[in-house]
Amino acid sequence: MVDTATVSQMAHLGAGIAIGFGAVGAGLGIGFATKGLMDAVSRQPEVAGKAFGFFLLGAALSEACALYAFVIAFMLLGK
Amino acid sequence: MEHWIYTLNIAGHAVSLNLDTIFTMWFAMAVVIIFALLATRHLSLEPGRLQAISESIMKFFYGTLDTMIENENRKHVPLVASLFLFIVTANLMGQLPLRIIHLKNGGELASPTNDINLTAAMAVIVLIYYVFMGIRAKGPKFFLHELSFTGIVMALVEILEMFTRPLSLAIRLFANIFAGEILVSIALGGLAYFLPLPIMLFEILVAFIQATVFMMLTIAYIGSATKEEH
Repeated sequence: MVDTATVSQMAHLGAGIAIGFGAVGAGLGIGFATKGLMDAVSRQPEVAGKAFGFFLLGAALSEACALYAFVIAFMLLGK
Repeated sequence: MEHWIYTLNIAGHAVSLNLDTIFTMWFAMAVVIIFALLATRHLSLEPGRLQAISESIMKFFYGTLDTMIENENRKHVPLVASLFLFIVTANLMGQLPLRIIHLKNGGELASPTNDINLTAAMAVIVLIYYVFMGIRAKGPKFFLHELSFTGIVMALVEILEMFTRPLSLAIRLFANIFAGEILVSIALGGLAYFLPLPIMLFEILVAFIQATVFMMLTIAYIGSATKEEH
C-alpha cells in the first residue's frame, strides 16, 4: 500500500521529468527551424521576409509540443 | 487560473458552466461585432481610415486562402476570418488588467482561450466544417479514395486524423495561452513591476502567432479535404 505523500512526491518528480524531456524536443525543433531560416536567408537574402513568416509558424508548431508536456506536468502537479 | 464554476441541473444531469469564460467570450464577441459594424457603416470608394484597415485585414485573408486552396477558395472566408479575429481578440484580452476584479470561488477574468472547453468547441466546429466540405466536394470518395490495400490504410489514417487534428488544435491554443498566464504570474512573484513586462510583450506576439497558426491549420485541413485527387 503506497501512502498519498509518496504518490504526491512521485507525481512532482514525474512533472519535472515530463516538462524536461518535452523541452528537449521543442528546443531541437526550434533549433532546426532557425537553421533552415539561416540557410535560406544566406542563400537568397531577398526571401528573408517571407521565410521569417514560415519560420514563426514552424517555431510555434514545434513549441506547442513542449506545451503539451507542460499541460501534462500541470495535471501531475495537481495529484 | 481558477474558473468560476456554476452547476446547473437540467433534467437530472449536472451541467457545469464556467461563468468567467462565458462572460469574457461575450466580451470578445462584442468587440469583434462592434468593430465589424463600425467598419461597414459608411462604405465608400475613397476609404477612410477604418475602412482602409479592415480592407487590408480582408486582403490578408484573401491572399492566404488564394495561396493555400486551389479552387473555390474565397467561400471559406466567413469561417476563417471570424475564427482569426475572435482568437486574436480573445488572446489579447488576457493582457488587460481585468484580473484585479475578484469573482466567486477564486475565478478571474482573463482570456477566454485559457479554458479548454472554448478551444475544443472551436476545433470541433473546424472538424465538422472540413468534413462537410470534403463530402460536398468529393462525395463518398472523401472517405475511401480507391478500393485497394493502400486506399483502405489511407482511409483508416484519415479516420484517425479526424480525432487527432481537433485534439491538437484545441490543446495547442489552450496550452499556449495557459502557459503564458502561468509564466506571467511566476514572473510577478519573482520581481513585480519589471520582470512581467517583457513576458507580456512576448505574450502579445504569441497571441497573434497562435491565431495565425489556428487559421493556417484550418485552411490546410479544408484544402486537403477539398483538393482534386490525381
